[in-house]
Amino acid sequence: MKAAAFDFVQPSSLDEACEHLSRAADDPQIIAGGQSLMPMLAMRLVRPGLVIDINKIETLSGVVEQDGGVTIGACTRQTDAETSPVVSGRLPLLRKALRFVGHDQTRNRGTIGGSLAHADPSAEICLTAVTLGAKITLTSAQGQRDLAASDFILGPMTTAREENEILTAVSFPIWAADGRVGTGFQEVSSRQSDFAIVAAAAQVAIDDDGICRRAAVAVANATPAPIRLTAVEDGLVGQEPTAAVVDPLLPSLESVLEPEADLHASGTARIHIAKTLVKRAILEATEDAAADD
Amino acid sequence: MTDRAGAGRFVGRNRRTKEDRRFIAGLGRYVADIRVPDLKHVALLTSPHASARIVSIDARAALALDGVYAVLTGDELAEATNSLQHGVEAPNIIWRPLAQNVVRYAGEWVAAVVADNRYIAEDAIELIEVDYEVLPAVVDPEDAFASAELLVHPDHGDNILFHRKFVWGGVDDDFAAADHSLNFRVKWGRNSTVPIETFGVVSHWDPGQEMLDVWASVQMPKYADQIAEALRLPGNQIRVHYDVDVGGSYGVKRGLKHAVLTGYLARKLGCPVRLLEDRLENMSGGDAHGPDRIFDVDVAFDGDGTVRSMRMRALDDCGAYPGRAPLQLGKPVGSIVGPYKIGSVAYEAISVCTNKTGQVAVRGFGQAPTNVAIERMMDRVADYLKLDRLDLRRRNFIQSAEFPYTIPSGTEYDSGDYQTVEAKARALSDYDALIAERDTLRGSGSLAGIGVATCLEPGGGNAAFEPLFNPKNDTTTWMESCTVKVDRLGTVTALICTSSSGQGHQTLVATVVGEILEIDPADIRVVHSDSLSSLPGNSPVASRMAIMLGGAAQRAAEMLRERLMTIAAHNLERDEADLVYADGAIHARDDDAAKLDWKQLIRICHGQYHLMPPGMEPGLQASYTMQVPNGGTMPTADGRVQMYPCFSFETHITLVTVDPGTGKVAIPRYFIVHDCGTVISPAIVKGMLLGGIAHGIGAALYEKFEYDESGQHLSGTFMDYLLPSSMEIPDVQMDEHCTPSPLTPLGQKGAGEAGYMGSPAAVVSAVNDALAPHGLTAESLPIKLGTLSDMLRTLDGKD
Repeated sequence: MKAAAFDFVQPSSLDEACEHLSRAADDPQIIAGGQSLMPMLAMRLVRPGLVIDINKIETLSGVVEQDGGVTIGACTRQTDAETSPVVSGRLPLLRKALRFVGHDQTRNRGTIGGSLAHADPSAEICLTAVTLGAKITLTSAQGQRDLAASDFILGPMTTAREENEILTAVSFPIWAADGRVGTGFQEVSSRQSDFAIVAAAAQVAIDDDGICRRAAVAVANATPAPIRLTAVEDGLVGQEPTAAVVDPLLPSLESVLEPEADLHASGTARIHIAKTLVKRAILEATEDAAADD
Repeated sequence: MTDRAGAGRFVGRNRRTKEDRRFIAGLGRYVADIRVPDLKHVALLTSPHASARIVSIDARAALALDGVYAVLTGDELAEATNSLQHGVEAPNIIWRPLAQNVVRYAGEWVAAVVADNRYIAEDAIELIEVDYEVLPAVVDPEDAFASAELLVHPDHGDNILFHRKFVWGGVDDDFAAADHSLNFRVKWGRNSTVPIETFGVVSHWDPGQEMLDVWASVQMPKYADQIAEALRLPGNQIRVHYDVDVGGSYGVKRGLKHAVLTGYLARKLGCPVRLLEDRLENMSGGDAHGPDRIFDVDVAFDGDGTVRSMRMRALDDCGAYPGRAPLQLGKPVGSIVGPYKIGSVAYEAISVCTNKTGQVAVRGFGQAPTNVAIERMMDRVADYLKLDRLDLRRRNFIQSAEFPYTIPSGTEYDSGDYQTVEAKARALSDYDALIAERDTLRGSGSLAGIGVATCLEPGGGNAAFEPLFNPKNDTTTWMESCTVKVDRLGTVTALICTSSSGQGHQTLVATVVGEILEIDPADIRVVHSDSLSSLPGNSPVASRMAIMLGGAAQRAAEMLRERLMTIAAHNLERDEADLVYADGAIHARDDDAAKLDWKQLIRICHGQYHLMPPGMEPGLQASYTMQVPNGGTMPTADGRVQMYPCFSFETHITLVTVDPGTGKVAIPRYFIVHDCGTVISPAIVKGMLLGGIAHGIGAALYEKFEYDESGQHLSGTFMDYLLPSSMEIPDVQMDEHCTPSPLTPLGQKGAGEAGYMGSPAAVVSAVNDALAPHGLTAESLPIKLGTLSDMLRTLDGKD
């Protein structure tokens, strides 16, 4: 388990990084926290000719609130996002999700952008980005473009990133106050901190009468990429999200989800778990909204 | 606090272990820390197929790579070495480090590269071209047992490594007379102890001494002898260094093929060679998987819960090469009825080959799986009769007044007080309140269950399963040795004849020697010798070192003390009976002034020969080689045998919950009461217990080496082979009891397999109790979240 030989550069600016990345003949690969890439290098599952380390590019790190959203630099450590007051205050769903990402040790190294760019189907950060309709910013020597998270993540370890692009930031929208916002994040893994067997995220806005005005609900690892459950969301809006309301919505998951079996759980088990977790996430979010005073 | 039973000045006291400081400070010396100049590194090309013929190997491109010194394949190695040895009689199963002509499991070593570093070695591995003709694989053990055509080793004639049906007592009559009978199947999944440190070895041929030096992370009896035999070298041309710390083992650190391969390469190339498995090599090709068993059990019992007789069939999947694996069906013969009075037993032991990674000894040598089968039997009888599971066990316990007690398979249990231990566990867990807690949880929609297990840990280890399973083997001793010496400056050093893999042998020996010589164990040095300078030993297997190494060290220390008494008697002109040994000095019972202190005594031994009794050898040293208590007999024709001498006992009680929506198991409460006779080092016994419980929880719920239908190994990384982490291990409440063994000098029994003997059974018991109200059972270990989730799917809407 030793990596094949590769060249290594450590640019200090984004322009420099983009320039290295544009030399496709070198078969370049970006490394940030390295929590997924390093084992893949060691097992020779990837064999880049050039590894571009973006850790020295200071402009890629940081959490800022701007334009009605929260923008997080790609190289921001997961731990730093987790402990950011902006994230806690404005993106409680992401804060909840980050607690499930690996371990403290891996979150100290792992980055927000790295997880998005890797696009593991079980990844909590990807799930949160899809749930909230986050915007992914990609930069190349030719310029910059934004993609919706659901257009960016195409499938397992597959994204819309072009080979010459660097994922530079992700922007999460902050919901305008049309009620009290509550969040729920539920995950099951074989052991604490393992990859999710299934994860579910929910964010709801509840008005003074307890009625759901807005809902975002999504599931990870039961489809090739995280998926919004629009039928469930539609069924919640205009209703009081109680168990009695949620239960009849759950069978709709069966037609939407297409989970793969692996050593840890069958496809049918994953659907069973997904229903449980979606329900729990919605009820958690509803309770959270009620406790928001 | 009252003194622990059997406690002495140092024995049984809460003292720090000698080893902890250097391990915690990062000052251990593992095989990867061994620095030898000009060390070269080995990487392995492994088979991608479970079964295939090797048509050709082209290593030219690999050899041409800068920094590569050799590419070794099976043909060359086969010319120069003998087959590695098996525990059963299978002369036509040839086992060598590198495959020759055929590969028999995915992960088997096909070629080895030696290079300047491991990076280059792995680059070279990729350049070796092997042409395989893929053959059908034997994957299912029942198919392996039944098949006459599809054979892992055609020259062996079938896939069966061992098959014998033992009948001890009137089984058929007992079944006919019993009120009830029932049968069931339970499966123990292929798991292991997976150490933090993979196996590693450094081999160095010294051309001046004409000797092969070996540093290895090994835990194996007769390691040096077996290397010598395979390399066709005299025994005294191999020197295995035991002063290497071993980063985890519990049976699996055997590494014979690793040492033979590197030993051959070191000699061939004239340079030191290191093979340090990476995790993939360890998990797929290290031959380090544990038992993989299907148990079919029939039990005959009466309406009052008395279990009369048992028929057990155990089919064990040993993988591609037997090694000592089949013997793991033999060791449980010596405790086949557990702690219960069962009058007759039929035991059919079947060991088969398949195209999988080889099986190796794992903590308990087959006992933990067997204990699961026995305990599931007791649970099922209790459930059938609607009796409490603990009550049923209590009804069937061997009574404390009945020891020594001989079980149907011929083994005598030394001592035990199962009722008291069980009663303590009942009290510790507040059993009635625990039942109430379970029922409250059930009432609120949870699945909750209580698990119990009352299990034995045979200790002291002898070789009795070798002659039992191999008529050509007449080994009747598994001796252990220790030398204790006092130098001219008066400091005490003990030499032990094995490496240690976390058992705390330095603490054990220092404590026992300190107890006898009345010297602080902190001041006693314990040294690991090497295979040429040591006396006979059999390594820390079989839960035997407290008994055997502790026993040898104690006897050697007593011999020193006796020698000092003789010297004192000679100089003080008193009878030995009139002298008192106290704190290393000797004085007359009736006259404190008539005294020789430690320094004076040592000075006599090391210099004042004129003050020694006539004929006594100078210096102060003693060695003792201990025979296993109660050992030394061969099995009878009907397979009755005295297996291990000492029997520790443990009662586990646990409460688990199963989330009906996900299948996730949680263990909110865990209790154990443990009896290993006299406790020598409380911290070590506690560590063994906690680690053993964690290990067993892994076996019950998480750990499995999975294979697909084609024989591909699917669990080569820690993403797929799930070791429980600290988050999965409950807070364990403990109590202890002491029933001394009459067979050992301090009353000690074994503790190296403690916790692991019963925790798999207890957790499986609890999960099944949780499932029982819904008419579900789970009898295939590990009981994974996904499996439970699929079962509980059917309850959807009912919660």
